[in-house]
Amino acid sequence: MRQLSKFAAGLLLTPALAIAQEGGGFLDELLGDMDLRVNGFVRAESAYSTTQAKNRNNQEGNPFNQIEANRTAYLPPALALGAGKWGNLALGLNTTQLPIIGPVAQQLGLDGVLFSDQIQRSEFGFKSSVDPVNYMILRGESEAQLSINSHWNIIGRIRAIYQPDVIDGFDAHSVEAFQGGITGGEPALYQSRNPNYFAYRVEGSHHPNPLEISGRNYLVYFPALVLDYSSGPVNVRFGNQSIAWGQSIFFRVFDVPNGLDYRRHLILDRGLEEFSDKRQPQLSLRMTYQATDEILADAFIAKFQPTVYPNPGTPYNVIPVQFTVHDRYHQFGYDDKLNYGIRLKADYGQWGWQAMAAYRYNPDGTFRWTRSGVNKPLSGALGSLVNTVYNAKLPNCGSGYTPTLCRLYDNIGEALAETPFDAAPGGVYSADEWFNYAADVRLNGLTGLNAAIDPFPASRDVFATDVDLPTEFGGTVSQTESRRQADAELNTFFIAAGGSLRGHIERVYHREKVFGLGVSYVNESDNDFLNQLIFNLEAQYTPDRNYTNTGLENRFIRQNEYTISLVVDKWHRLFADFPGTYMVFQALTKNRSDLVGRHLNGYGSEQDHVSTGLGHNANYIVFGFLQPFPNKIWAVEMASLLDPQGGILVQPVLQWNPGKGVTIEAFYNYVNGHLWGKPTNNLVSTLDFADEVTVRLAYQF
Amino acid sequence: MWIRKYDFNYGRRKLMENVAYGMGAGALMPLNKVFAAQGELSKAYPDELMSIDAYTKGKIKTGDTISADNVEIVKDLLDPCVYEQVKTMGRKFRIKKTCTDWTAMFPGEFYEATLRSVKSPAKFDADGNVVTQDGKTWGGGLPFPDPKTGDEVQANLCLSWGRGDYNQYAVNDTVLNPDGSIGYSYDLVWVELQAQARMDGKPFKGRTDLLRFQTVAFTASQDVAGSSFLSTWYYDQRKYPELYGYLPQFKRVRQFPTNQRFEPLIPGVTWFLSDPWAAGDPMRTWGEYKIIARKPMLGAFNTTMSLDKPNWVCGTHGGPKGTHFWDADFELAPEVVILESKPTGYPRAPVGRRLAYIDVRNNMYCGNIRFDRQDKPWVNFETGFGQYKQGGKTVFGADGKTPAWSWVYVMSYDMQTHRMSRARHLEQCAGGHKSVFKADNEEMYNKWFTQQAIQRLGQV
Repeated sequence: MRQLSKFAAGLLLTPALAIAQEGGGFLDELLGDMDLRVNGFVRAESAYSTTQAKNRNNQEGNPFNQIEANRTAYLPPALALGAGKWGNLALGLNTTQLPIIGPVAQQLGLDGVLFSDQIQRSEFGFKSSVDPVNYMILRGESEAQLSINSHWNIIGRIRAIYQPDVIDGFDAHSVEAFQGGITGGEPALYQSRNPNYFAYRVEGSHHPNPLEISGRNYLVYFPALVLDYSSGPVNVRFGNQSIAWGQSIFFRVFDVPNGLDYRRHLILDRGLEEFSDKRQPQLSLRMTYQATDEILADAFIAKFQPTVYPNPGTPYNVIPVQFTVHDRYHQFGYDDKLNYGIRLKADYGQWGWQAMAAYRYNPDGTFRWTRSGVNKPLSGALGSLVNTVYNAKLPNCGSGYTPTLCRLYDNIGEALAETPFDAAPGGVYSADEWFNYAADVRLNGLTGLNAAIDPFPASRDVFATDVDLPTEFGGTVSQTESRRQADAELNTFFIAAGGSLRGHIERVYHREKVFGLGVSYVNESDNDFLNQLIFNLEAQYTPDRNYTNTGLENRFIRQNEYTISLVVDKWHRLFADFPGTYMVFQALTKNRSDLVGRHLNGYGSEQDHVSTGLGHNANYIVFGFLQPFPNKIWAVEMASLLDPQGGILVQPVLQWNPGKGVTIEAFYNYVNGHLWGKPTNNLVSTLDFADEVTVRLAYQF
Repeated sequence: MWIRKYDFNYGRRKLMENVAYGMGAGALMPLNKVFAAQGELSKAYPDELMSIDAYTKGKIKTGDTISADNVEIVKDLLDPCVYEQVKTMGRKFRIKKTCTDWTAMFPGEFYEATLRSVKSPAKFDADGNVVTQDGKTWGGGLPFPDPKTGDEVQANLCLSWGRGDYNQYAVNDTVLNPDGSIGYSYDLVWVELQAQARMDGKPFKGRTDLLRFQTVAFTASQDVAGSSFLSTWYYDQRKYPELYGYLPQFKRVRQFPTNQRFEPLIPGVTWFLSDPWAAGDPMRTWGEYKIIARKPMLGAFNTTMSLDKPNWVCGTHGGPKGTHFWDADFELAPEVVILESKPTGYPRAPVGRRLAYIDVRNNMYCGNIRFDRQDKPWVNFETGFGQYKQGGKTVFGADGKTPAWSWVYVMSYDMQTHRMSRARHLEQCAGGHKSVFKADNEEMYNKWFTQQAIQRLGQV
């Protein structure tokens, strides 16, 4: 126990100990005779946008803050008594589109008559930000190893991150005057005055990762804290840890044991660092066995920990804040689940092979509409009217229930709580915004609307009804007609809500079997450039993988997926006066989803047109190099990711290691998802806002 | 009047003749025969090649310190880099008595094995690899106790680096900037396990296709700690080793290309993988081995290991801040082969040629200068070797009976940038790893030389 307490002290007090070490004796006295190795670093990291672009998944980056959208309410078909479809009977008149009268009306401030208007989100308290700071943290890490004897060790690594409030983020309280303010979801994430950078919250639990302490500005956790046992060819590690498999860098073909932690800097850190600080550690038992000189067996059993996405409102948030996410990791008992996996790796001279099988919960999870749980009536003139009409319906109709005449709940607030929406600011304000964002996050705005109604009786209870779907999505009408109906229904409800509706989705997880095969070959040639080229081909096959339905439907997409990557490594001296250049080329193809797991059926849509998807595999090409200068004091790096559908991310890096424990790195992320074709056909457009310069200053001890 | 049998310059003249005629070591008689008989070194060399007093006719005496004040007297005995360091950078060294004890120049088991090989030295097969007279892979000890060609000298260096089946070196490498300030300080463990050329003559785990396993694991500073590399060397010296590395950023073992041998592994250092042992690359990936001189030289041959100092770290001196050079003892080696070689298998290498200064008594180098493509002197990978015995202290070797023998220090000095990598063989380095000369090979194999091992050694 005495040694363990010293180990903990060594890990936690490393900076102080490092200072003390320089001073002499104190450290020796504290640590006594135990064999303790401690090292670590502190690093300031900051990223500055080089454009005015902001993340459109956040309130301050929403283009509809400045874009005007026309809205007109219509009589719901449920109340139309034979009028049939959404959009047939207008409850207002949009004057802006009228000849002659329109401009005059606009000058008079009359965009519409009765329940029709022209709005932009700025009218509801939302402003766009021009803050150039995307990221600014102070990171400290230290690793300690306590050797108990030649077989047993305790190894720990602690990572602490602090994010000061220097970024101009969204204040949820700033829109309290509208629609009663934001009320749904986890308060720490959706109702705070400042973005919550690090707190990891799921429904029903504030500590979904037992070895993490996180709050709005800070994150402290153990990337590793393991008891290590070695004897002969056997090594066993038990504790919090992450496991990386495979030769591919950045492409996760074999790298299946852990989810990722996207908080902090998403995937925008140095490309050649890969996911070194992003694999989400999980309590695991890992056993490796060097079966023969050539064959290594590597197996794990792990407590399932999902991928952690950036919190809403944080600079690299990937889920539009118009959604409120309910993560069911704890509520549905996924936190008690175990993942299993085994990999065999063998190397025979120039040739090598590997095979992998895992039985796991996919850490990315899937999303679908869920009840909001927010009991709040509609507001505004139309909203009040709807509230009244709802209350006028008959209660307790039993088997004679019809949404036109009967209601299921005591009031409309109760009814709305059972729908995937709540009437609150910061949601979607117009049909234009709905379809624009659906396309952007690779969802289907039409099927998504019906999916928010069909499985939810309360939605029908508040007069929502399906729209007719276009033929390409199994319906009977044209997309124009389908869209006309959807626009009418969506805008009606947005007006009735008194501004916007926030959508509620839940995140659930699915077990899957993942299989992998890989082969490697080291080429030997008299041609200097072809000599020592290392080829690695890795393939993953997952039968019946679950994906988020592009309509956020209750039923997930379930399909077989394959992922194949080819990696070529080369070290070649290009310049006589410089050390050799390390180069890596990679290509990846996936038949169902993109690099981050979004189903390809959601690709290709635009605000005015919903696509049936990409229609072929998602392909990616990576090229990177590392060019050290003499003595390796300076180095330049480059990493690039090309999506042949028209997107590219290029990252040049400059490193300077002047010695004395100091390291300085600077890199620029050039992101362009508009090279050619439709931006929503490539992955990179999702990150289009992230042209930025990142600077890191590190001091190691 | 006493008439000398040989004049004063006979020894040096004879050594030059030996080069011209392609003969082996020894001025008065073949060194090989003296060695085989475990005889007195004086039977092979005259006094002036074995005593600095005699060589300088009393101007320098054993025990004297060479400094800028008197270095001109021994200029011809120094490699050009050491001479410049003494002349212009404040380097000094003390001259100790020339070692004549054969057993002090080798690890005990290796000495015995080399004595055996005198009777039946190795030969090269058609592929240029070292084999026994009946064509089998080499068993152990120096394969060519009496090397007459550059290839044979190089084979003696490359076949068994540390001259033991297993060697584990705890190392600190401190990099000094040109102004003398410390730029970087790294701790690392360098571990070697011979698969062949072993003391028992038997291939380890039956691997007749391999020569050795070698792992380097960095334990400090923080930015490189947890990086480890495993090289598996083929017996066939035409083939590049396999290289697997664990880098903290990848969190896993990946295979890396291995044909680039002229790169600094970590920031600041002046040495390449190619430099250690003057044989850092497979022998047949270099070529044009040529003995260009045999001459007496001063060097850190059989130098003193500072076992009396904490963690075996001795004092420093010289340079801008008085910390550039290890305090070291030099001795006059009666015959040093200057071996030239070229990186013929690396068409884009920045190195034009290499000169290694090799003591024929034990066929181990001290100076190791590489030149750039313009033939300008670039880096001297100076290495002091010696027995691990000092005063009453002894560190025992693999046999547990005789003192260990190994490298003591490295000073890798870049003559163009004036940057110095100054490495020391430590008793223990950061991470608690100790230097080891005797260990269970099977256990060490599992500990250091498998992919599982370097995964385990890596940063978590």
